[in-house]
Amino acid sequence: MTSGVGLIVSLMFVQFSAPDLALTQISVDVVTTILLLLALNLLPKTTPAETDTAGRLGRGGLAAAVGLGVGALTYAILTRDFQTISDYHLAEAKPGGGGTNVVNVILVDFRGFDTFGEIIVLGIAAITIFALLDNALRGAAAKTLASIRHPLQSKDAHPLILVVATRILLPLALTVAVFIFLRGHNEPGGGFIAGLVVAIALIMQYLASGYAWAAQRARIDSQAMIGAGVAIAGLAGLASLFFDWPFLTSTYTHVDLPLIGEIEIASAVPSISASS
Amino acid sequence: MELLVASAVGMMTTVGVYLILQQRTFPIIVGLTLLSYAVNVFLFSAGRLVVDRPPIISDADAYTDPLPQALVLTAIVISFGMTALIVVLALRGFLETENDTADLPGEDLAPETEADK
Repeated sequence: MTSGVGLIVSLMFVQFSAPDLALTQISVDVVTTILLLLALNLLPKTTPAETDTAGRLGRGGLAAAVGLGVGALTYAILTRDFQTISDYHLAEAKPGGGGTNVVNVILVDFRGFDTFGEIIVLGIAAITIFALLDNALRGAAAKTLASIRHPLQSKDAHPLILVVATRILLPLALTVAVFIFLRGHNEPGGGFIAGLVVAIALIMQYLASGYAWAAQRARIDSQAMIGAGVAIAGLAGLASLFFDWPFLTSTYTHVDLPLIGEIEIASAVPSISASS
Repeated sequence: MELLVASAVGMMTTVGVYLILQQRTFPIIVGLTLLSYAVNVFLFSAGRLVVDRPPIISDADAYTDPLPQALVLTAIVISFGMTALIVVLALRGFLETENDTADLPGEDLAPETEADK
């Protein structure tokens, strides 16, 4: 259901002139759906109905009130007159930032600190996820995990067609990711979407061929990758100091911040590792 | 069109808030996801709904407002990180304790969770 909502939201972004948002939303949704399926697979199968009618009505009333308020607020904002503050960004994107995709130029050049913080937040989240799952196969958690047996398990755990198709898709997806990454400054695209495409390609390997097979062939330590992603972003920012420019100033020539992708890969891979 | 988007934001908020008030972790996760969709669309709509004017410099004479889009792009990424984190947190919590209620045990356990054990 959430993926349905996500699909419609991204279609809305397409309709209202936001191609970058649509691309990001749709690729985020793919990974989110896989994560939610993983949670559904391991969490209890049934949710007992909450029986107290008064509490249910109270919560429903509260939710409806909040929803109505937010909806009214949105409508009020949408129908107001509008004075943009982005004329500077639109005017300076090409001469100042060196790119024609204004959204990505804002993210990388005008608001570089924001994006740097975003990279660090994602890195922290990824390391936390890694820590939570790394020792999940020991202690009380492992016992619970072993006690979950699925009556509806398929006999053929790794269907041949799926395995072969995902292995062919991996290099293709990597190529597409590089393409999206490099065009991000001028056309819809960018580092985060590229990173998600790589992550999806890797997750498909885990899903199709099993965790043991994929983990054996993963030569890059995901923890090191998270660290490297944050370090590259920081160094790209520090490089501008050597030329007497403020932190995170970028010129046309050096490859700047859209390295968020590096972190994404690492955050998505360990989170899927509990699935098999 | 404005009414449609506003009602969609209101609807997603309603469902999200209702699900967050549940006791089990999975509805709460889904509720948080829906709420973040609602917030993203709300922030995006602060730049007004403009059809067919993508903020990519070309020969066009007008563009939509790029600033809310940049903010929402960051918001999508952060909310994705948050969702991934709480999914894994809920999973690990359930695997450790075999209990997927969001309340602390013994604090204010509702009767139906007691019967569930």
